[in-house]
Amino acid sequence: MTQQSSQEQELIRINYGTPRPYKWATGKYIGKLYKEAKENKQLVTNRCPQCKQLLWPPIAFCGRCKVDAGEDWVVMNQRGTVVQYTYLVVPMWDPHYGEKFANPYPTATIKLDDGAYLVSRLQEQDPEKLKVGMRVEAVWKEEGRGTGMGDVLYFRTIEE
Amino acid sequence: MAERVGIVAVAQTKYSPDRADAHEGELAYEAIKQVLDETGLKYGHDGESIDSAVTCSQDFWDGRTIANLNVNPYVGAHLSHEVKVAEDGVNAVYVAMAEVMGGHHKASIVVAHAKESMTSFRLAENAGLDAIWLRQLGLDNWSAAALQAKRYMHKYGITPEQCAQVVVKNRKNAKNNPFAQEPMDLTVEDVLGSPIVSTPLRQLDFKPHSDGAVAMILCGETLAKKITPKPIWILGASNCYETHYLGDRDLAEADALIKAAAKAYKMAGISDPGKELDLAEISEPVSYQELLWMEGLGFCGRGEGGRFIETGTTQMGGKIPVNPSGGTLAGNPDGVAGMARVAEAVLQLRNEAGARQVPGAKVALAHGVTGVCGQLQAVMILGNS
Repeated sequence: MTQQSSQEQELIRINYGTPRPYKWATGKYIGKLYKEAKENKQLVTNRCPQCKQLLWPPIAFCGRCKVDAGEDWVVMNQRGTVVQYTYLVVPMWDPHYGEKFANPYPTATIKLDDGAYLVSRLQEQDPEKLKVGMRVEAVWKEEGRGTGMGDVLYFRTIEE
Repeated sequence: MAERVGIVAVAQTKYSPDRADAHEGELAYEAIKQVLDETGLKYGHDGESIDSAVTCSQDFWDGRTIANLNVNPYVGAHLSHEVKVAEDGVNAVYVAMAEVMGGHHKASIVVAHAKESMTSFRLAENAGLDAIWLRQLGLDNWSAAALQAKRYMHKYGITPEQCAQVVVKNRKNAKNNPFAQEPMDLTVEDVLGSPIVSTPLRQLDFKPHSDGAVAMILCGETLAKKITPKPIWILGASNCYETHYLGDRDLAEADALIKAAAKAYKMAGISDPGKELDLAEISEPVSYQELLWMEGLGFCGRGEGGRFIETGTTQMGGKIPVNPSGGTLAGNPDGVAGMARVAEAVLQLRNEAGARQVPGAKVALAHGVTGVCGQLQAVMILGNS
């Protein structure tokens, strides 16, 4: 019991520290992306039959056109252009495995050359060298866990 | 004067203990695709398309603070209207009804999904209890239901045999329902011989864990009649909350349900439900609840639920069949269960219920329940003329 002055009521809080387990099914569409990422280090997704845009992540329904998306699967070129970025000064830790990220990699939206917009991390950590429009390419972890984009280590800067 | 609101299409997935093959959105889409295809409706704001979505899901089952996230693309909620209801699906139908009735939206798609396979059933149910008061007692829906069953049996002399008759009837009815998870041929002795979970309740007194989804489309009378020759009208709808703390309630009484039913009956112009209803789909995740809820709905007097089921009135072929579908006891997920009752009532009133059809059904009741020991009770009266 914390000693308080006679006028103040002690402030009591109930803590809860038990983990809550979850197992989320990736399903048919995202499951295919995860399988290709794990087995072939490929990024695959499907194309909307109406707007012809690549959906990301893959999904059975195009939210923009509001039509069945079908299964026009595409293996994407892993090069792209940085659309926006932030330098994460206070890094988050991996919520699934509890590991601290080794570096506070910059987080960025990258438009792949095939048109899909990915959110991932950048290798470049020098704020002076980070630029909107910089060209990047996916680098895969040597030992991925089979968690799709989680198996991409970062996007490295490329010279073209 | 507001237009009547009609349900123009319903669809359910088959209920299953573990849909490990399906992402939540894909699971919901199995039902959503059917109602879109059946009605030919598109998402849009031209006055004759689906311009509203009401989804029903629970964050603790899905493990996100936005359980609707993965369903929203499928219900047209991209730069469009959506409301999430985190209670039983009957309330989601209620919200959609109010949106259409108020003229704010022309057509609403309603979808409930849950995958109880994704997390610890007991932790998720325990999370439904107050965080600083009841959770630490280790109560969940099993033990809380057992407290209620004990009180109900003690006060009115309801017997385990009478509760078991609910299980026998509903699991048998489920044999005629292609969506049912666990149809079974059981005897009262089978139920009473299943392992004790929490006295006086046994394993077969409870519903099995379940994954599944249900979808429907609601719109006003003018549009409804263009879409289908068989719209089903919502004649009455109401819900009523009970206090959460079990110590404040006489658990042998369904006070909230009595109030919810009275309001729904009044709206539907029903004065004698036992005579005027052709069937009822009642949410009974635990056996004794069907008896207690029938009392709350006025099918019989207080404390008479046990003797009432013994008369056979609620069996298929009886005066008022209760749960021709097999009910929640045959396997429906939390939150989806009540909306599945609405979907089943619609199928009955459309004369599309196959082997579980109640001949000539014109008026049906669907009931949903949320929370510990039936804390939130929801009643909907539906008709086909």
